[in-house]
Amino acid sequence: MGGKVTCTLGEVKNRADFIIYWGGNPADCHPLHFTRYTLTPKGKHVPLGRKGRTMVLVDVRETPSVKFSDIFLQVRPGKDFEVLTTLRALLKGRPVDEARVAETGLSLAVLQDLIERMKKARFGVIFFGMGLTMTRGKHLNSAAILSLVAELNAFTKFVCMPVRGHGNVTGADVVMRWSTGYPFGVSLSRGYPRFNPGEFSTIDVLVRRDNDAALILGADPGATMPQPAIDHLASIPTIVLDPKVTHTSRLARVHITTAVTGISAPGTVYRMDEIPLPLKPILRSPYPTDEEVIRRIREKVKEKPAWLPASFAAVPCA
Amino acid sequence: MITLTLKAEPGVPLEAEALSPDVVANLSHEKVRALPMFLGKRQVRVDEFFEVDGDGSDEIEIRGDCGKVKWLGRGMTRGRLIVAGNAGMHLGAYMKGGTIEVSGNASDWVGGEMSGGLIRVGGNAGGQVGAAYRGSRTGMTGGTIGIGGSAGLEVGMRMKRGTIAIRGKVKDFAGIEMKGGTLIVGGAELRTGAWMQRGTIVSLTPIPLLPTFAYACSYNPAFLRLYAPQLAPLGISIPFEPTDGSYLLHTGDVAVSEKGEILVWQPRAS
Amino acid sequence: MLRITGGRVYDPANGIHGEVKDISISGGSIVAAVEGPGVRTIDATGMVVFPGGVDVHTHVAGAAINFARAMTPEDHRTAAKFIHSPVTRAGAGGATPTTFATGYLYAGMGYTTVNEAAVPVLSARHTHEELRDTPIVDKSCCVLMANNEILLDLLEQGEVERARDVVAWLVWAAKGYGVKAVNPGGVAAWKWGKDAKILSQPVEGYQKVTPAVIIAQLAAIVDGLNLPHPLHLHCNNLGAPGNFTTTLETMKVLEGHRAHMAHLQFHAYGGEDWGSLSSEASKIAEYFNAHPNLTADAGAILFGNSVTITADGPWQHLLYQLTGRKWGNLDVENETGCGIVPYTYKGGNVVNAVQWAVGLELLLLIQDPWRIFLTTDHPNGACFWRYPEIVHLLMNADFRRERVMKLPAKALQRTVLADLDREYSLAEIATITSAGPARALGLPRKGHLGPGADADVTIYNDDPDREAMFRGPRYVLKGGEVVVEEGDIKKVVEGREFIVQPSFDKSVEDYLRPLFEDYYTVTFDNYPVEVERLEGADIRKLDIS
Repeated sequence: MGGKVTCTLGEVKNRADFIIYWGGNPADCHPLHFTRYTLTPKGKHVPLGRKGRTMVLVDVRETPSVKFSDIFLQVRPGKDFEVLTTLRALLKGRPVDEARVAETGLSLAVLQDLIERMKKARFGVIFFGMGLTMTRGKHLNSAAILSLVAELNAFTKFVCMPVRGHGNVTGADVVMRWSTGYPFGVSLSRGYPRFNPGEFSTIDVLVRRDNDAALILGADPGATMPQPAIDHLASIPTIVLDPKVTHTSRLARVHITTAVTGISAPGTVYRMDEIPLPLKPILRSPYPTDEEVIRRIREKVKEKPAWLPASFAAVPCA
Repeated sequence: MITLTLKAEPGVPLEAEALSPDVVANLSHEKVRALPMFLGKRQVRVDEFFEVDGDGSDEIEIRGDCGKVKWLGRGMTRGRLIVAGNAGMHLGAYMKGGTIEVSGNASDWVGGEMSGGLIRVGGNAGGQVGAAYRGSRTGMTGGTIGIGGSAGLEVGMRMKRGTIAIRGKVKDFAGIEMKGGTLIVGGAELRTGAWMQRGTIVSLTPIPLLPTFAYACSYNPAFLRLYAPQLAPLGISIPFEPTDGSYLLHTGDVAVSEKGEILVWQPRAS
Repeated sequence: MLRITGGRVYDPANGIHGEVKDISISGGSIVAAVEGPGVRTIDATGMVVFPGGVDVHTHVAGAAINFARAMTPEDHRTAAKFIHSPVTRAGAGGATPTTFATGYLYAGMGYTTVNEAAVPVLSARHTHEELRDTPIVDKSCCVLMANNEILLDLLEQGEVERARDVVAWLVWAAKGYGVKAVNPGGVAAWKWGKDAKILSQPVEGYQKVTPAVIIAQLAAIVDGLNLPHPLHLHCNNLGAPGNFTTTLETMKVLEGHRAHMAHLQFHAYGGEDWGSLSSEASKIAEYFNAHPNLTADAGAILFGNSVTITADGPWQHLLYQLTGRKWGNLDVENETGCGIVPYTYKGGNVVNAVQWAVGLELLLLIQDPWRIFLTTDHPNGACFWRYPEIVHLLMNADFRRERVMKLPAKALQRTVLADLDREYSLAEIATITSAGPARALGLPRKGHLGPGADADVTIYNDDPDREAMFRGPRYVLKGGEVVVEEGDIKKVVEGREFIVQPSFDKSVEDYLRPLFEDYYTVTFDNYPVEVERLEGADIRKLDIS
C-alpha cells in the first residue's frame, strides 16, 4: 500500500473517456470541473467531447451531479470500502460473497459490469471527494481507491485524483512537504519535524486539549469543528488572522484583519493537481498581508531566549 | 526497584522516552532526577513532574494518571516497567525485550513496531496496537501484547509476527494488511482482516466480514489448544474444546491474497 | 578578505595538482592576492584544497521529489534530523531530504553547485520555489523537452525552425538553464500505457517521429541555440537487460553534436533477461572514449535504501509490478510525467551486484576524468550524501577488491570489475566532482580556483580513509564565506540560480497561444515563470549561432 497514480487535469481533458466521481458533488462544489476538464471539452484525443466520454457517479444519495452522469450507482452510506475491496478482487478474477456484496446497495452484477467497463476504458480516472474521505474509513477509503487504480494499470491506463476542498489546501500540503517532509499533522516541538495523524492533527490536538495556545490562519474551526475542540479554543489564548471576523475570531483572544489573498495579496495557489498558478492581486487593501503579520510575529519570537537545548541529551524520538 | 510518582499533571503532553529500564538501570538517584523529558517544546527534568524514590534500577514503577505521558518504555530491551495508573501514547514502541504492565488504560500505538517483550494493559487501549507507523511496511515483528479491555482502530496493522490479544471489542480495520502473527479479539466492528496477506485473526464473538472472505469450514484448530496456556499470563482465555463449540474458518482477503484466516468462535447450542 | 595558506591545492582546470600554494579571496571571488589589515587567514597546512563540488545530475526540488517525500514518511523518520537553531531550519535528510536539509547536506559535504536534472515547464514555478528554500548552494535546472507534444507535433510536420523557437521559448518560460530529454517518445507513449523502446520505431500516435528523430533534432536545436550545457539525455530503455545496444545506437545518433549522457550505469547492461543481466560497461566505455563530443555522469548505485524517481513512467510501473513496492505516477499534460518507486539495493541480489559493478566499471574504464562525472542519479542509485563512499572505492583498489570479492559468484562472472586496478588520484577526483561538471555545465566561474572564480572552496583533512575525508570537510566556503566548519553549519548564505535567455522569434507566441486554449488547462499568460519570483537569478542572454 502506498503511492498514487495520477496526472494533471489537462491529461483528463485530452484523453479521458471514462470518468468516475466517487463521493463528491462537482455540480455544486466544483462547478467548472465538467466544463473545463472532465466532460464537455473537446480534448486532443477526445474530439467528440461529451459524446466521447462516459461518466459514472457513485454516491449515497442523488445530488445535482446525477443529471450529468451516464451511470449513477447509489451505494449505502459507509459501504464504499466494501465496494472498493470487492472491485479489487473482481479485477483479479477472484470469487466474492454475493450476499455481503448486496449489503453495499450495489449488486455483484453491477460491480462486475463496472469493473469490465473500467478495464475496457482507454483512459480512466476516478475523482474522489469528501463523501469518501471524511466518512467511516477515512484515509483507508482513499487508500482503497489508490490501490484499485494502481492495479488497474495492469489492464489499461487509469489514474485518480482527490478533489480538494476550498482555499489553498493543496498549496499548504505542497509547502509543508518540501519544508518538513510531511503534508499535515506535523509537530516541530522537538526541533525537527514529526508526523502522526491522530496525534498531531488539529482536531485531535484540540479535542484532547494537548495545546495551550493556538494561531488560526485561513480557517474557521469555530464553525466546523466538534464542540469539545471549540470549547478548548475558547479557553486558551487563540489568535486569528483572517480578512473577516469569523466564528473563531469571536472566541479568540486576538483577531488581526489581513488582506484577502488573491485579491489584495500576492502568492501562489496550487490547484488540486498540484499545478502552481500565480496570484495577481488587483485591489489594494488597508490591511497587512498574512505574510507581513507572520514575519512581524517571528521577529518578536526571535528576540526570546532560545528554548531548545543546544544539544539533545535524550534520543530524539521519531 | 525505583519508583516515580507523578506530582503534577502536565497540561500539554510530556514525552518521557527516558523512562525506560535501559536508560535508568545504572544511574544514580540524582542522575535519574535530572533525566530530560519534553513538555511540549521545553526540556524539563524528571523531578519537575515526578517524585523519585530509590536509585536507578531496571525495575521501574510509575504511579499516577500518566495518560498524557508518552513514549514510556520506548525501545526497551530488558527489565520491568510497571505503571500503576494510565499510560500515554506509544507505550513500549519499538520494544525489544522486557515487560511492561499497566494497571489502567493505555492510549494509541501501544507496542508500535515492537520486536520482542511483553506488554500487558489491564484496562483499554487506543488504536494502532502493535501497528506499523505511517508509511512503514511492517508493524510488530515479535513479542506479546495483552489488553484487558477494548481497543480502537487499526489494531495489528501490518503486523508480521507476534501475538496480540484483546479481551474486549476492537473497532474497524483490526489486522489490516496483516502479514503474519496472531491477533485475538473479543469482538470487532467492521472490516476485520481487510487486505490481509497472511496471519490468523481469532474472534471470540461473531463479527461482520468483508465480501472478500469466504467460509471454508468449521473446526477446532490444534494450535489454539497449544496457544491457550501462553495467553494465561495476559489474563485472557480462549475456548478450544469441541464440547464447548468450534471455530468457523474464513479465508481471504482475496482482494490481495488467499492465505489469511479469520476464525470465529461458535459456541455449541445447548 | 581571506587567505587560505599552506594547503595542497588541486585545481585541475588551471593545471595545479597538489602544489602548496595560497588561495586569496576578496568580495566573494578568488583573486590573485590580498593584503592589508582585515585579512582573515585559514591555516590549511597539511590539508587538501579543492574547488567546491558541482553535482551535474540530481533530483532535489520540484513536483516529482515532493511527491516522493509524500510517499516515504517512514524514511523521514529514520533519516538524519536537522534541528531548528539560530542558524538552521528544521528538516530531515534521508533519500528525499527536505529543501533546507538538502542545502545543509550538500554544503556539509563540500558541494556548492547543484544541477536539478528534471523540471517540467508546467510546474517549474514549484521547482523554483523549492530551490529558493534550498540554502547555500548555487543551482541550475534542466527543462524536460523530449516528450513535449507541441514539440513532437512540430517534428512530425518537419517544422524544424519553429521547433527550435518553441524550445527556446520553453526554456525561457521555465527560467531554465539546459534541456533535458528523458526516454524520448516513451513518456508520451506512457500516456496510453505504452513505451518507446526501439529508436527507429515511430512513437505511439505518430508516423514519422521516432525516438532517434527526437534525439537528433533536440541535440541540433540545443547546439543551434548555443546553450552552455549540451543536451542532457536519459536514454530509452533504462534499466532493461541488454539495453547497451540502445545506448550505443543513441550515441551514434548523436554524432556531430554535443551531448551529456545521464546516469550511464543504468544504460550499460547486457543479457537477455533478469536472470542473465550482465555488464557491458566495457563496450559502452570503448565507444565513449573514442567520441569526445560526449560527456556522461556515472549514476552509480550503492547497496541500501533509495527511492527511484524518474520521468521514465513505464519503467516505474514495471518496477512496481516486479517488487510490489509503493508506486507513484504523475503524468503532466502535454509535456512529461514521473514515476516513483522506493527501492532497496541488496548486495546479495545478483542483479543489484551487477549494477554496483557497472557504475564503478564505467568510472574506471572511461579514461578522461573531464568527461565522466561522479553521480548516483540521486536518489535513484543512492543518496547524494553517500558520494564519499564512491570516492573511497575509486581511490583505493585494495578496499575495492575486498568489496568486489563479497559479491555473489554469478555477478563476478558477469562483470570485469575484479580485474580493474586503476586508482583515482586526488587530482582526478577534483576533476570528476568539480572541474569536469563545471565545464560540462558551461559555468566558467565554477569548478576552479583561478582569479575570477567564485570563491567556493572546500578544505579537507588529508585522511587515508577517503570516505571519512570527503564526508567531513574541515572547512567549506561559499562565495568567500565560511559556511561549514568541522561538520557544523556556521553561516547560511543564499545561493544563486543560473538561467539562460535563448533567442527566439517572438511570433512563436502567436503559434503557441491557440494551442494552449485547446490542449492545456492553464492560460498562456499564467504559464511562464515570472523573473521576479526568482531569488538571485543570474541570467545569461544567448545569441543564435
